[in-house]
Amino acid sequence: MFNSLPTYILRRLGEILPLLFGLLTVVFFLARLMPGDATDALISPTIPASVREQLREQFGLDRPLVDQYVSWIRSALRGDLGVSFTRAEPVTTVIAGVLPNTLVLGGAALLIEVVLGVLLALPVLWLHGTRREQLLSRLLLGVYAIPSFWIGMILLMVFSYWLGWFPSSQMYSSDQYGSFSNLIAHLVLPALTIAIPAAAALARYMRSSLQNVQRQEFVLFARSLGLPRTKIVRSYILPNAASPLIALAGVEFGVLMTGVLVTETLYSWPGMGQLTVHAIFARDYPLIMGCVLVAGVVVAIGNLAADVANAILDPRLRFTR
Amino acid sequence: MKLSRATRWLLAIAFACAIFWGCNRKHQADEATVTIAIEGDVLSFNPLFTDDLVSAEIAQLLFPRLVEPEFDYTRGLLSFSPFLASSWEFSRDSSEITFHLRRDAVWSDGVRVTARDVQFSFELYADTVVASVRQGVTQHLRRDRGRVNVATSVVPTNDSTIVFRFEKAAATHLFDLGVPLIPHHVLDTVPRAHLRSHRFNTSPITSGPFWLERRVPLQQIVLRANRNGWCGITPKVARLVFKVLPEHRTRIAQLASGEVDLVTGLRLEDAEPLSREERVALVSTVGRDYDFIGWNNIDPQAYRASQGKVITPHPLFGSKNVRRALTMAIDRTAIVRAYLGKHGQEAFGGISPLFAWAYNDTLKPLPFDPQRAVRLLEMEGWHDADGDGVLDKAGKKFAFTLKIASGNQLRDVIATVVQQQLKNVKIDMNIERVERSTFWNDLIERRYDAWIAGFRLPLQLQLDVWWHSDLQRSPFNLVGFRHPRVDEILERVRSLNRQEDGAELWREFQALVHDEQPYTFLFWISDLVAVNKRVKGTHIGIFGATHKAWEWYVE
Repeated sequence: MFNSLPTYILRRLGEILPLLFGLLTVVFFLARLMPGDATDALISPTIPASVREQLREQFGLDRPLVDQYVSWIRSALRGDLGVSFTRAEPVTTVIAGVLPNTLVLGGAALLIEVVLGVLLALPVLWLHGTRREQLLSRLLLGVYAIPSFWIGMILLMVFSYWLGWFPSSQMYSSDQYGSFSNLIAHLVLPALTIAIPAAAALARYMRSSLQNVQRQEFVLFARSLGLPRTKIVRSYILPNAASPLIALAGVEFGVLMTGVLVTETLYSWPGMGQLTVHAIFARDYPLIMGCVLVAGVVVAIGNLAADVANAILDPRLRFTR
Repeated sequence: MKLSRATRWLLAIAFACAIFWGCNRKHQADEATVTIAIEGDVLSFNPLFTDDLVSAEIAQLLFPRLVEPEFDYTRGLLSFSPFLASSWEFSRDSSEITFHLRRDAVWSDGVRVTARDVQFSFELYADTVVASVRQGVTQHLRRDRGRVNVATSVVPTNDSTIVFRFEKAAATHLFDLGVPLIPHHVLDTVPRAHLRSHRFNTSPITSGPFWLERRVPLQQIVLRANRNGWCGITPKVARLVFKVLPEHRTRIAQLASGEVDLVTGLRLEDAEPLSREERVALVSTVGRDYDFIGWNNIDPQAYRASQGKVITPHPLFGSKNVRRALTMAIDRTAIVRAYLGKHGQEAFGGISPLFAWAYNDTLKPLPFDPQRAVRLLEMEGWHDADGDGVLDKAGKKFAFTLKIASGNQLRDVIATVVQQQLKNVKIDMNIERVERSTFWNDLIERRYDAWIAGFRLPLQLQLDVWWHSDLQRSPFNLVGFRHPRVDEILERVRSLNRQEDGAELWREFQALVHDEQPYTFLFWISDLVAVNKRVKGTHIGIFGATHKAWEWYVE
């Protein structure tokens, strides 16, 4: 049976929804397995113990777990993710306030990753089989193995504290809130922190792809025609080697979005990573669920985009067995 | 549209310039902006729902209070000065206080602050549907059939006069009444159950020396000086920026680079490098925080199994002599010298030297004397009968597990030192690190035998919840300490009109606690704050770093 692209997308969505439902169910019960609850913050000699009980009742924490779960699912289906226990705002409002910041950081990191990854992979076309190529390959492997927080600390120390070129934290300076140039300045170091190891991995992937394409008959044919090398690279090798990257970028975006946790803390970037850490430590269950839902949706969309890109590039994938 | 190569180059150069212009642009804020680094975001501006340090400090700058607390550091006494209330008087039996409010205070939407706002605030604080974290401030108000009735105990007589009626006189009433006030006209019609998610929590109507200019979640809170003046107060700085910096090292680095002006909650290891920074001044305040080793005086298993009905001495720590021996086996002086230096002081009696009026300076810490410790343990029947290097008594080894909450490096180190020193007197101690939330839950449920933790003394010395023998009403008497004379003292100081009248009673309390050694007190630890020297006029102390920030000025 041949599937049109919209049908293919619908089918993939149909597969994603049960996955999301499963993820949320597991996280709901796992979060409740953590010791304590959101009222732990009220263990204080200055707060009467009765206040904790009143709050447990208000938050519905005194109800059976399954009741709480059913109630959360019902509300979530209506688009109501509840009120954050700690931030005294609807979860949707809290997330809407910080999600764009993470999208900006994730997007910038992805852009740098792809550009840097491709630039680092290209020398393979000229250096294939040489010692320099081996050196570059090892270097890429080394960079890939470095934890991103360590890269972040080095970047911070050199470019912020020593040279003073870039700000060390947050999205804007307090006196330049909303300024685009100020945002770009703040974005450089955290985006690089995320992008550098990812670019190293991408470059290694791209190198293999370039090498494969370089050996294809149509490239040999182009060479035999005496076409200039730059033309062969630009018109034949790159488009064919880069097509898998489009699919890879979709997957990477989801990974980047959920992997900014350490970087956001290191650079005090006001995004989903910081919010998720806060929610977990505060046992703010509605906020935990909201953050997991967003992360799940972003990863799913990234994967879906990758699948769709693959399906467009290779229509055979739209066939089902 | 296809751009020419030259245009593309020009665009690229312009983009690069924009980046570097953004990076290197000089700090163009008004010179009178002071930036304060904070570890976490303010969760809500509504004082009903938050009482963490930063939220409380910001609330003090934004919301009106009846009275302003003052602290006499020489005598260690708390007093109060007029704020929204221009004056007040006590009834003859001190069970009623009448406040006269200023008539010139207005909310940020232009509405006058009146006595109705005061009454409304206390209605909300008392309401169990609201479940305010400050509900405790209403507990002494006059009751009606056993319940606090704000309508009859907080009564406005006109727009600018309000009477508070209490169950009985106590020295702590003024302190309780110094909570932030909330606008009646804004929240009156909001169902109480909906207050927790109301937009007032993030965009409040305020009335204070500062206004909320902007809040960017997880990034910054900007307060603008109320240049019209508030009740005769006109801030000298134009703005206060509270900058959210979760990473401790970032806060320190930005202080050193001048990006932030004030950092609180410094660690002891920061003191030395920061003292070398020319532009930074370190302020160390003798603290109200103390660390201790808790020895459970009662058998936790029997207590929990009987749901608090059976209270028997702990098999290891139930005896006073054993607890004294344990204290003497631990070199507390060396611990303070090695790990706290001049920012700590050896503790022994449960009351900080900060409260000079109540502090018993005739007491001295028990000496570090392992030999005497061994003799005391022998007196209690503990001997190493089987020669395995661990004391035993009737077949039971002197072995236990000391619990500590994870994430506190100082307590980690101290636990190891204590383990080594107890081993020298043949006591076998294991150390177990527990996740912080689990640790406190377990402690409150009295599950542990021994632990290291810390407490903060309240500004008003009322210590029932830490020391009273009735363990149901004293949830923070974690060791299960029970002493009839201590109970008497706690009851008597609670009924005094002036806290300083209880000085002798508090000294006796310390002597009793010192004798019983329910805890091994370790040290009082100072609050460390670093501030850029360009910021002058600060009142960094026990009320926090931003206390009276309207008096700050910048040089």
